Amino acid sequence: MIYLLLFWEYFKIGLFTIGGGYAMLPMVIQVVEKHQWLTTDQLYNFIGVAESTPGPFAINLATFVGTMVGNEQFGFWGGVLGAVVATFAVVLPSLVIIVIVSKLLEQFKSSKYVQGALYGIRPVVVGLVLSAMIGIATNVVLPNVDLTNIPSSNVTPFNWVSLVMMCAFLPLSRLKIKGKKVHPIFMILLSAGLGVLLFGVCNISG
Amino acid sequence: MKKTSLWQLFAVFFRTGLFTFGGGYAMIAILQEELVNNRKWITNNDMLDMIVVAESTPGVIAVNTATSVGYKQRGVLGAIIATLGVILPSFLIVSALSYVISAFQSNIWYQSAFKGIQACVTVLVVNAFTKMFKQIQQDVYNYLALVVAFAVATFTNFNVIFLILSGAVCGLIITLIKSKSTDDKPLVVADTQDIASQDDQTGEVDQ
Repeated sequence: MIYLLLFWEYFKIGLFTIGGGYAMLPMVIQVVEKHQWLTTDQLYNFIGVAESTPGPFAINLATFVGTMVGNEQFGFWGGVLGAVVATFAVVLPSLVIIVIVSKLLEQFKSSKYVQGALYGIRPVVVGLVLSAMIGIATNVVLPNVDLTNIPSSNVTPFNWVSLVMMCAFLPLSRLKIKGKKVHPIFMILLSAGLGVLLFGVCNISG
Repeated sequence: MKKTSLWQLFAVFFRTGLFTFGGGYAMIAILQEELVNNRKWITNNDMLDMIVVAESTPGVIAVNTATSVGYKQRGVLGAIIATLGVILPSFLIVSALSYVISAFQSNIWYQSAFKGIQACVTVLVVNAFTKMFKQIQQDVYNYLALVVAFAVATFTNFNVIFLILSGAVCGLIITLIKSKSTDDKPLVVADTQDIASQDDQTGEVDQ
């Protein structure tokens, strides 16, 4: 039953996400690949959409995966149900935990076990985000290369246009104009425009 | 502290969910303005406590903050209503968008636009990583755990949940060893609060 699976996977993701939105990304990538719910391209594309739509990044991601999975199997209302299931499942663990923790706030804050576990988890999460980052960058520059199974001879084209774009966007994203950073939505729109121009109009293929 | 109606709780969090892009810390800055300064539902200290709890419990930070404010105001029902409020806007918008996306994904212009967007997304994730990296304590365990977690997650299919659990176990062991040698000094509590308050001040973070 696809909805039970969706619920279970997203419940686990909600339970083990510590440190917010992007910390969830490595788990979502792994689950989506394991069950082949979406292609990596669909997932990575949606990260751009999630950044440009309102609401918490991770919720957007859960709703999206839920909709796509349900929609593929059972059409429109299947998608709606999938979205409800995934979104509900991802917030349920924290809902329960927060209510319990709020009652025991002082004990929780000063518990050396809780703090110790968190101390241990934080760098792992950062390492996982780094891994997601490398995975996404590889997918952009070297499409079709699976890092868990590196081919001996390199057959995929090297997408140098995207590499140049990445190098150009990195300083842009750190740029401060009148003390304010360039908004991610602006960068996403700009990159979409460049994509249409370079890959669509000029038809430069890697 | 005034008693808040469930409807007010829902409305405030719905609005926050609707007008925050990226979620997380960006939302916390807005909530602070709304809840502490404008409505005076909670004090700044309450807010800091809630950020610490939101950061150190599983789940999405923005949602966790909503849940704990809701709980503080109106108990379990308040927690549910506030959570519902904050996720409903993204839920509705993203559900609708997903259908648009699945309709267009074989379109050539759509594909070239997203080829461009993926380059930008990489940069966003790079920035998320550097920001998270700055927040962890800079010590041997943290570097080591980061590298190991990265290598295992990148080059194997090992379940990332087990990696996170292993991190928790390592952290517990280190804390227990340290606390034996340093007479029960609280180890990391102060740091978590530092991170929380730093983030409030910058308030322009995107995830």
